[in-house]
Formats: sequence, structure tokens, C-alpha cells
Amino acid sequence: MDITFNIGGEAGQGIDTIGDLLTQVFVQAGFYTFTIKDFESRIRGGYNFTQVRVSDEPIHAPVDYIDVIVALSRDAVVAQRDRLIEEGVIIFDDTIEFDDLEACHYQAPLEKVAKEVGGNVRMMNAAALGATLSVLRFPFKLAEEALTAIFGRKGEKIVEGNVAVAKALYDLTTEKFAGKCRYNLDTLETGPCKDKLLLTGNKALAFGAMAANIKWISAYPMSPSTSLFMDIMSYSRDLNIGALQTEDEISAICMAIGASYAGARSMVTTSGGGFSLMVEALGLAAMAEVPVVIYNAQRPGPSTGLPTRTEQADLLFMAFASQGEFPRIMLAPKDPLEAFYVAIRAFNLADKFQIPVMILGDQYFADSVMNVPRIDVSNTKLDRGKLARVDTGSDYKRYLLTDDGISPRAFPGDEGKSIVASGNVHREDGHITENADIRNNMVVKSMNKLPAIMNAMNPPELYGDENAKITLLTWGSTWGAANEALQILKDAGMSVNQLHFCDIYPLRTEKLRKVLSKSKQIIAVEQNVTSQFAQLVKMATGISVHHHINKYDGRPMTARWIVNEIKEVGIK
Amino acid sequence: MTTVDQLEGPQKVTWCTGCGNYGILAALKKAVLQLDIPVHNLVISSGIGCSGKAPHYIGGLNSFHNLHGRPIPVATGIHMANKDLNVIVHTGDGDCLGEGLGHFVHAARRNVNIAVFIHNNGVMGLTKGQFSPAAPRGYVSNTSPPPPGAPMDPANPVALAIAAGATYVARGFSGDQKVLVKLMVEAVKHRGFAVVDILQPCVTWNRQLTWKFYNEHTYSLQDNRHDTSNRLSALEKALVNEGKIPIGVFYRIDAPDLVANMFLPEAVPLKDHTTSLKDVQQIIDDLMI
Repeated sequence: MDITFNIGGEAGQGIDTIGDLLTQVFVQAGFYTFTIKDFESRIRGGYNFTQVRVSDEPIHAPVDYIDVIVALSRDAVVAQRDRLIEEGVIIFDDTIEFDDLEACHYQAPLEKVAKEVGGNVRMMNAAALGATLSVLRFPFKLAEEALTAIFGRKGEKIVEGNVAVAKALYDLTTEKFAGKCRYNLDTLETGPCKDKLLLTGNKALAFGAMAANIKWISAYPMSPSTSLFMDIMSYSRDLNIGALQTEDEISAICMAIGASYAGARSMVTTSGGGFSLMVEALGLAAMAEVPVVIYNAQRPGPSTGLPTRTEQADLLFMAFASQGEFPRIMLAPKDPLEAFYVAIRAFNLADKFQIPVMILGDQYFADSVMNVPRIDVSNTKLDRGKLARVDTGSDYKRYLLTDDGISPRAFPGDEGKSIVASGNVHREDGHITENADIRNNMVVKSMNKLPAIMNAMNPPELYGDENAKITLLTWGSTWGAANEALQILKDAGMSVNQLHFCDIYPLRTEKLRKVLSKSKQIIAVEQNVTSQFAQLVKMATGISVHHHINKYDGRPMTARWIVNEIKEVGIK
Repeated sequence: MTTVDQLEGPQKVTWCTGCGNYGILAALKKAVLQLDIPVHNLVISSGIGCSGKAPHYIGGLNSFHNLHGRPIPVATGIHMANKDLNVIVHTGDGDCLGEGLGHFVHAARRNVNIAVFIHNNGVMGLTKGQFSPAAPRGYVSNTSPPPPGAPMDPANPVALAIAAGATYVARGFSGDQKVLVKLMVEAVKHRGFAVVDILQPCVTWNRQLTWKFYNEHTYSLQDNRHDTSNRLSALEKALVNEGKIPIGVFYRIDAPDLVANMFLPEAVPLKDHTTSLKDVQQIIDDLMI
């Protein structure tokens, strides 16, 4: 079973809520779900959609064909009907004027029934759910259980209303809808999936940061990063986290650097434009050796670009941002579950090496929802790195020269110590200097961190046979679509594997060299136009990829798209 | 007890002979002695320019010499991480009123509990004499259009601070130690955003705003019965731009500061607080379907 629902309409019509309901019903019933959000940069009107894919096998990407369209506006039909499969169904609310009713398979009185049965137009969501499930012959009993669980917290009346509305539409549809969907689920029992936690990439990062004892977050709102900041803000009271919306991104990162200098684990969240403003302070964090975690939820640029859409085109910018040279770490989680652990690692690595650590997400990663197993935080390990809290006495030197380049940290307020930090070249005691020898020593000190940093980077994951002829080279959020493409290609008899990177900078090359040296055709699959990761690989290893598959329209990749691109390139 | 020896500068001062910054540094040391706050609880955040070097000329304290225009947000972060610290910003007129003006206004609006000392000499000293945002209209420099000089009025830090919501706003003069020390002590003790605009001559570049000029053109607000609780009369005094320049406290009120409305731990500084993993687990488990 592999069904995709596309719920479309104007911004503000509640399409997200219908999508959430559908997702929750299927998760409750034991299925894997993967939901993408496609929306325009506007508050009301326009055309947005939520697309929910449901399967009885694990899924990690959307598909580009649709089984059921739930349309709350004319555009929702027009924009998607070409992607509807042959046995697909379009459910259309009958109150909305539409001149091409022929195209709709089922005109459902969603709004009418919501008002009449539920007494509230907002119950249109439950109505849409009822109609959709009926089209699939999905047992209503399962839906009822799910609705009861979902609305349970809001009280019995809300539960009853929603169940009644869903049932009314369910029954009405069973009676009136003459068409047939490719799936008939009437004998459905609960599915095999026990993963009951619905997470977006942003939410997973927020939870990881909270488990990692984040104590300060400052940010200026910027899509698609904002939901992470909002999540931490919403728990700031319960968990005693300092969270502040600032006047701009420069202030945000400078506050985070100040808070971290003073001993609090700190983070900023932004997108490419905001990161551009933060670049000067990125260099300050490096020079002053103040740990900070920076999250960039990428969107298509340059400039304002496509504010609510997806791209992976800030990689090289972030790898080389700021004047001067210094060590930094960049991590790009592939999905929400990995993101949780990446956030914890980011804080630990930042503290351990006293450097900026950057997490690269993108709109697709940030907003997509999937169900994952319960996350157990009890084993979270915090590594604050080298600390000199008690033992060094009054001759404490913030930038003490050491073999590994890492000087023990102390914090203002530590008795008997004066913690002197500077963005200028400085002596071991932190006071500024222009002495050439000290400059050399300090540059060497910062570069001496590199071997241990490299050692802390995880090697890439290899999927498929190490000796395969073709390698799909991927990083970050495109993992899911590429991994699904890998299966399709393998099933078609191709000799192919996938080499995937979460830890992208600095680039660890042993496994990379080993796998790529055996591959006859290396294909970079990236959500950008210039295959930035492939360029990084070439810089680090001299290895060139043979083919490039690039998507830069701001919409996420699908497996079928990748497979078609590979066919077009003529690789066999 | 903090001692004079403790505060001895770790580095040789690089300011020009006769620079107004010497008076500000001397006043700062006297203020630190008078405040008698343990030096490990004092932090200086400074920007870039001649003023930014202040932390290298006073010993014993914590300091973070950071970026041009950004010492206020850095100081805000330090304060939030550890509200037991007393955080002092040393900034110049180019730093605070040019590059960092937005931060200055928003920090005042937040009433964040830090003290900001503006080394105000009307000129970009370290980059060799360009007109600063605080230079008078017509000020001639190597980057102001000849012949009219600076083609605009100066930024007015005192008026800006009062208008933006600062709760302690004063002006001092590097040549009047007694008053300046008093203002610095009050600013550090004040709970909320405290600003001391400190007039200082740049003896190398500024031929207009000299020791002589300030000695002849300043007068004490406090000797002239100014009501420091009245925002409008404070603003009126701040907007005087002809004749004599008022020195002293313009405006002082009590108002909730930034931390008063944030959820920082009460028992320990934020930096020493550890989130309970059980609480995080509960948040996650509550989302399970």
C-alpha cells in the first residue's frame, strides 16, 4: 500500500489541519507517513497544498503522483490533476464555484455538512476526512478511534461533533460516490508501524537542542527556520531557556556569542539571508573561540529568492563565509530522526573545539513531517569540552597554547580569574597584539584543532553494494528521494549504490575515496544548480563526478524524478 | 576589596598624548574602586576604535573586545547568561551611533540591565579623522564633502536614549572626573539600560571639540534644578544644540528590566542551570499519538 493525498486550497482554509488529521489517523492505525507542505509566501488566498503519503513500508520522500486530491479551491484541482493517477479521485467541496465540474469525481457537501451536523464550519476538516476515508473504504471504526484520541484533549463535545461530521460524510460518500479508488481498504487491520511521534526536521532539532541543554537562543524570524525558534520559545518557560527575538540577525548572533562567552550553550536560527548578516560575527566566534551553533534552513536564493521553498545552495557559502581562515564544522541531517542527534552533537562539538558549528537544513527538511519511533532522551551525553573552572588560579589564560590547540574555558564570575576574549589577534591572556610570532602561534593553535575535528566527523553512509558500478552521491535532506531511487534502479537490475553525507565539512575522505575509486559512474544528486558538494569533494580529493543531477525549482525531489533524470543522462 | 594594583593595565596604552580617553579610563578605575563589586563579576564589552581598547588598559576584570558596532548585543548576551555580572559597554560614537545605532535603540527599548559608556569625540579617530555620526554639521574632515563639511546634523545619543526607553541617561565630560565617576557608578548600579554619553576631545583630529571648547561650553544640570524624573523636560534639555551643553543626569526612572519578563532560573545564573531531561522527555511523550 502506498497512497498519496493532496489537500489543496487557499492559505487560511485549513488544508494543513486536514492533512494533520489524515496523517494522525493513519499513524494511529499503524502506518508510515511522509507529509510535505507546499505554500506561497502570503497569509491569505493563493494556492497551497499539503501532501500526505501513507505506506505500510518505511518512506522518506514524497512522490509525484496522487491518488486522492481534496480540493477546497478551483486551483487545487487545476494545479494537480495532471499528477493524478488513472484510478485517482478528486473530492471537491460543492459550495465553491467551479466551471469545470466534469473534472471532479466527487462533489462533496463538506461545508454544508460541517455546519448542519457539527454546527461549526471548522468541522469541514472532519468532513473532508470522512469523505476521503470513505473513498478508500477505510474502516470507519479506525478513524473514530483516531479522532477520539486526537480531539480527546479538547473535550467530549468536540470529539462527538467531529466524529459525527466525519461519519455523516463517510456514509454519504459511501452511498453517492460511484467511482473507484485503486485501493480498497475495507478489510484493513492496524498496520505494522509502531512509530507514533510526528516530527518535522525543525521540531527534531529543537528537541535535540533542548536535550543538549541549550540555554540561550536568539533569532530574527525568517522562513523556513522560524518554527524551530518558536518551538524553543514555547518551552522556554518550562525549561528555563533564555529566548529572545532580536532586532536583526546581527544582534541575534552577537547575543548568542555573548551568552556563550559567559557560559551558556547558545544557538541562532536563520535562513541564508540572515546568515549573510551573521557572517562577520561568525568570524568573531572563530577568533574569540566562542562555541556557537548556527542553524540555516536553506531556501532558494540569491536574495529573497523563494522564501517558502527549498534548496541546498548555501553549502559552499557557509563553508567559506567570513574573512580569514578558521576551523568550522557543518552538519546536514537527512531526516527528523537524525536531526535530533545532530543537534546534540552540534552543541558538543562546538564546546569541545570552541568553534562555530553549523547545521544545514532546508525548507523541505524543516517542514516535512514523518512519524518516528519515540525518542528516548535519557542517555543524552553532554560534553562541555575542556574547562578550567577551579584549578588554574589567578594566572588563567583564556588562550593558553596547548598541543591540541584547545585552551580550557572559564567563565566570567569565576573567582580569581579574568576571562579576556577578543576578536583582534591576541596573546595567550586575551589582550591584543600585533606581534608576528604570537600571530603565527595563534594561527597554528587554531589549525592544530583540525586533526581531532576530522576524527570527530562521521564517515558517510554507504547504501548498497560497495562494488557497484554507479554511485549516487548525496548529502542532507535529498537522502530519502535518492534512497528510494536507489531501490527502483536496483530492482531494474542496475549496479548502483548511494554514498550519503551528514557530516559535510570538514570532509572526511577515507571511505569516500574507497567507494568512489570503485565506482565507474559517480552521479552527484543535489538540490542546487552547481553540484556544490561535488565541488567540495573535488577540492578535498581531486575526484570528479561524472554526472550531475540538479534540481533548483524550489520543489523537493522525488525518486521517480531522479530515476528519469538518470535515464535521460543515458546511464545504464 | 578591590585594590588599585589589581586594576593596573595589562598593556601599555596606545592612545595619543592628551587624549580624552585617559580621563575616561581614570574615571572607570575610580568607579570600579568605589563600586567595590568583586572584579570577577565585572565584564567589559567593547567595540572597535580607540574606545574599544579600554579593556586592555584595566586589569583584573573580565572583558570581551568584540566587533565594530556590536558591543551592546554581546553585552546583552553576557548579561542574560549570568545576571549576577555587572556588564559595562565601552563604545565610541562611530561604534555606537553609526554601525551599532539600531542595537543601541533596541537595547534601550528592552531596558536591558547594562551600562553603556559612549566615548564621544565627534570623529573617527582610529581610521584617521573622518567625520563621525556625532560630528557637528559643517565639520571638515577627509571624508566630508568640501567645502561645507559634514552635510548633516549629528546623532544625539542622549535624546535618542531617552526617546527609545533608556531608564538612566546622563552626559559626562572626560575633563570633569568628579562628576564622571559619579555618573559611572550610578549607571552601573542602576537596574536597567543606563547610558553615559561622555564628551572627550580627540586631540589629534578634532580641532573643534577641544578641551578648551568643552571647558567653556558645558554646565551642570544638577546645579540648575533639573527634574530627572520628567521625560519631556529631560528630552528638552537633551535637544539643546546651541550655547552651553548640559552635563549630568538627564533622566532616571525605575522600570522593569528585560529579565523581569523572561523565564530565567531564579536560584542560579542561566549558565549554571541544567534542563531536566525528564522534562524534555515529557514534552516529547506528550506529542506521541
